[in-house]
Amino acid sequence: MLLPKFDFHEPTTVAEACQIIAEYREKAGILAGGTDLLVAMKKKQISPQHLVSIGRIDELRKLDSSSGMLKIGACFTVADTAASEVIGKKWGALRAGARALGSPQIRNLATIGGNLVSASSAADLPGSLISYGARVVLTSTSKTRVVPLDQFFLGSRRTEIGYDEILTEIQIDEPPPYSGAGYISLGIRASQDIKIVNVASFITLDSSGKTIRNARIVLGCVGPTHLRAASAEKLLIGEGPSEAVFAKAAEAAIRDSAPRGARYSRASAGYKRAMVGELTRRTLGIAWKEALE
Amino acid sequence: MKKIIRLTVNNEEHQLAVEPNQTLLDMLRDQLGLTGAKKGCEMGECGACTVIMDGITVNSCLVLAMQANGKRITTIEGLETEQGLHPIQKAFIEKGAIQCGFCTSGMILSAKVLLDKNPKPTEEEIRSALSGNLCRCTGYQKIVEAVQSVSEDDVGPARQES
Repeated sequence: MLLPKFDFHEPTTVAEACQIIAEYREKAGILAGGTDLLVAMKKKQISPQHLVSIGRIDELRKLDSSSGMLKIGACFTVADTAASEVIGKKWGALRAGARALGSPQIRNLATIGGNLVSASSAADLPGSLISYGARVVLTSTSKTRVVPLDQFFLGSRRTEIGYDEILTEIQIDEPPPYSGAGYISLGIRASQDIKIVNVASFITLDSSGKTIRNARIVLGCVGPTHLRAASAEKLLIGEGPSEAVFAKAAEAAIRDSAPRGARYSRASAGYKRAMVGELTRRTLGIAWKEALE
Repeated sequence: MKKIIRLTVNNEEHQLAVEPNQTLLDMLRDQLGLTGAKKGCEMGECGACTVIMDGITVNSCLVLAMQANGKRITTIEGLETEQGLHPIQKAFIEKGAIQCGFCTSGMILSAKVLLDKNPKPTEEEIRSALSGNLCRCTGYQKIVEAVQSVSEDDVGPARQES
């Protein structure tokens, strides 16, 4: 299975990479880990005439938590995300997503930025990142803009990124005190699987631990992009955390989801809806436990 | 247009002219004659093409040869020494962990990276480390047993060629 022909560019700085894609625009493809892009090229779904590898740009591979905010370079690998103690300690749901993705070999190549730019609602990293309120930094030769991740996805395989932009960094604020998050993705196999449903839940409690002050629930594989379960979130805010309240939120999340049927997908709409409820309930439980720690 | 890359494969330095659209897998097989890395799905799903690149396993079908410029690669051919087969290779033979053999190279390389880092893995850790290598013959049990037998032999971490 041959790759289509292309010219290969391997810039060593973001500025140089931006210049190359500004020149070739829609004829350029950006190669990070390659685990999605090269597969799509082999299948002849896309054939960029210029491939711009950003894998050797050191500034894109950094993890920086020194400013109270976590800044993850777009080319930070999924394996490093899964192994990072800093991420595991404060952003456990992101680590759970990284551990659930692909296989060891895929995680070694795949990058956090690539997992976002691929814009699949079955992807394992967007859900928790949206639930944490993450932002992405988009850089071009002329400007840099910061976009909240829940406004980044426009549809399946469609994002805010312009032809002249590179996703260079993911920014996540440190969760407020008494916060917790959970992430579960359900597949048929534990690895090398495209997921059936994934859910990320984030809650912040008040200092007494008795009231939910903020909640974000993100559903994957039940729409063209990851979806916020808005009515479930609304239902939780102001309530006291309990299994009963989480069960009600799970029911609301089912109504917030919009899965297509098995003809288009890996499971029937009815099964997906049931799993949205169950995973919402369970991830809220994980988030509650973490918030009390 | 071809470009020259330099890389180390099984402790030997090579300088090769490669096409941009050539994968590391094709380069290893066609230019270096190292056919131990197998061409299976070519989509990063089966793990038959697994090689070790700078100490970590990768699907060589999803790495461009040009991306391997300057890297250290270990293929299955790099494990045997003058002293004989690598302990993991011996264990696969002794435990009958090979049937058709197509997945074996990748399985052994994934097991090697695991045992280099974690000489006494649990069964779960072994299964997780091998989860990117599909085998359609064995049902995995004998493969897991082979890796367990190496960790039990207490040979210490396997040699650090990668």
